[in-house]
Amino acid sequence: MNKQNSSVELNRRNFIGSFSSMMMLMGGVAITRSQDKAEPEKERYAGPPINCAVIGCGEWGRKIITELGRQNRANLAAICDTYPAYLKRGGNAAPKAEKVAEYKQLLDNKNIDAIIVATPTHLHKQIVLDALQAGKHVYCEAPLAHTVDDARAIAKAASGAKKLNFQAGLQQRSDPEIIHILNFVRAGAAGSPVMTRSQYHKKNSWRRSSPNADFEKTLNWRLDKGISVGLVGEIGIHNIDAAGWFMNRRPTAVSGFGSTLLWNDGRDVPDTIQTLVDYGKGPRLVYDATLCNSFDSDYDVFYGTDATVMLRDRRGWMFKETDSPLLGWEVYARKETFFKEVGIVLAANATKLAAQGDNPTLDTQTNTQGSVFYALEAFLNNTDLVRTGVQDFTTNFGAEDEKALVEYLTDILKAKKPAADWKDGYIATVTAIKAHEAVMKGSRIELSDELFNIA
Amino acid sequence: MKLSRSIVSLITVVAFVATLASHAETIRYQARPGSKVKLNGTSTMHDWTVDSSIIGGYIEFDSNFPLDPSKPSSDLKVTPKVEVTIPVSSLKSGKSLMDEVMHDAMKMKNFTNITYNLKEMKPKERKAGDPLQFDTKGDLTVAGVKKEVGMVVTMEPVAPNKLKTTGSTTVKMTDFGIKPPAPAVGLGLIKTGDDVKIDFEWMTARKDEKKTASAQ
Repeated sequence: MNKQNSSVELNRRNFIGSFSSMMMLMGGVAITRSQDKAEPEKERYAGPPINCAVIGCGEWGRKIITELGRQNRANLAAICDTYPAYLKRGGNAAPKAEKVAEYKQLLDNKNIDAIIVATPTHLHKQIVLDALQAGKHVYCEAPLAHTVDDARAIAKAASGAKKLNFQAGLQQRSDPEIIHILNFVRAGAAGSPVMTRSQYHKKNSWRRSSPNADFEKTLNWRLDKGISVGLVGEIGIHNIDAAGWFMNRRPTAVSGFGSTLLWNDGRDVPDTIQTLVDYGKGPRLVYDATLCNSFDSDYDVFYGTDATVMLRDRRGWMFKETDSPLLGWEVYARKETFFKEVGIVLAANATKLAAQGDNPTLDTQTNTQGSVFYALEAFLNNTDLVRTGVQDFTTNFGAEDEKALVEYLTDILKAKKPAADWKDGYIATVTAIKAHEAVMKGSRIELSDELFNIA
Repeated sequence: MKLSRSIVSLITVVAFVATLASHAETIRYQARPGSKVKLNGTSTMHDWTVDSSIIGGYIEFDSNFPLDPSKPSSDLKVTPKVEVTIPVSSLKSGKSLMDEVMHDAMKMKNFTNITYNLKEMKPKERKAGDPLQFDTKGDLTVAGVKKEVGMVVTMEPVAPNKLKTTGSTTVKMTDFGIKPPAPAVGLGLIKTGDDVKIDFEWMTARKDEKKTASAQ
């Protein structure tokens, strides 16, 4: 089943290309991660492959299938979808994978190590619970669920599965480019947080064409008020997660408003929304999304007392306040014009680039894979750590001493690749669900501590 | 007739008990969690370390084994049976790229474990109360290549029925057919040194079941 739809979007790369040029003129400070001249060496992998199965072969599922095919640890053993057309399309990208319609067939297969859940959100819970019960490592797309109860059930099961790896599909948490920008913000380069602002502007209906009227409703689950978490739940969850992650704060309240302004096709989920996420007495996130206008596309802006950081398509720019203190890295930065002001551009690895004969003032990017690639890479790497850890331990010491095994796994997972765990997924999911609820009611909802407690 | 039968029975029982007494009991200490092994090496860029907390295997010795540090050193009549296993996959550097290079160099696909088998063990001269130390020789097998290594090991009872064995030795990668890695990411400028120092601390605990030597 399809997870996301980008059928009528602007060409993102072209847009960003023009946007980057615009930013150059505007005088932003480009924050780019350490850039090696050559593509980074692909990790060699000496261990046995991780046999994966993807459940849900909609557009997003097929993206995952493609990205899995580029991972050195993965063997895509099977794909699953109840809708034959999607299963067939998924098979085109993975001709060697077994194709099944019923996900329980995959769980019965002892050779499958890991399950990637990319079904419609309201179907996640049972699949995830069954997969963990069957001893499979699980990557579950975000949002984890469409209700708090379902999200809590998933979080509880994942937190209790000590010998399994669970990852929430908040892919930017594994992206080295975004982590690099995060480190700048967390280090205080922008000063104290003032507010964050994120947007998602597209012009498309969010409606999928269906071969028959009966299937239309199933296919368009995102437009069904009973099971959809709307724009803020399906898209804004990533912005909500980024805001909390960058500011290192948990939301305390959400407010929202929504309207259907263009796509009056009988849908009961708004095509345009505004939401406000509170973080205690601190800064707020302002998020708006529309399917009626594509101007300025999508991005996040983190405002601090000393500078503003814009995050867009895995890249960052810093705009310093005139009275902000010197940080030191400006020595290596290039200067650009922003209207009548002069901005400073950062190339994080200026020294290294200079040593390689490159011009540190040129804006380059070497982490050319997308966030999904890095998220799956982290999932496979961390799954491998857990899998071999359990195997090494039980082969040598037996399985009786579970406490010692968990301690051992905790120790080796200190070296895991960064990834969203069940807690990150749960917090973002609950916040997004409540934000959607606020949008539907046009109200403010307090987020109590109990809401974030999975016990 | 009755008397002679009783005498025969008595003689049989006495002989059986005597037989048992003449065979020392075999004690087995099984590997337990809490161990540490560190591989320390060098490179043209910086020193490196990989470690693991999994050391499997066992020690088997008879009840005459001099395990009490309060007693002076004595000769060993029989070398204990010692088998050690370290899964290659459990060796971690904290950097996944380096781990891949290391696992690949150690041919993990074909040889999943590093193993050690003790061949010879001699108590070192010591005073009563000093740690129990032994000169040892054994076969270390890495990447499928076996080589005899010698080292001094210390054995220390750390709790009732728990034994900590520590030791250290230096080996050469090339002795085991391993070419010191020069990762492509370093553009050939990073070269790893051939020598690798191994430090270990192996925790074992006495197994509940006891077997007699004669039963083996």
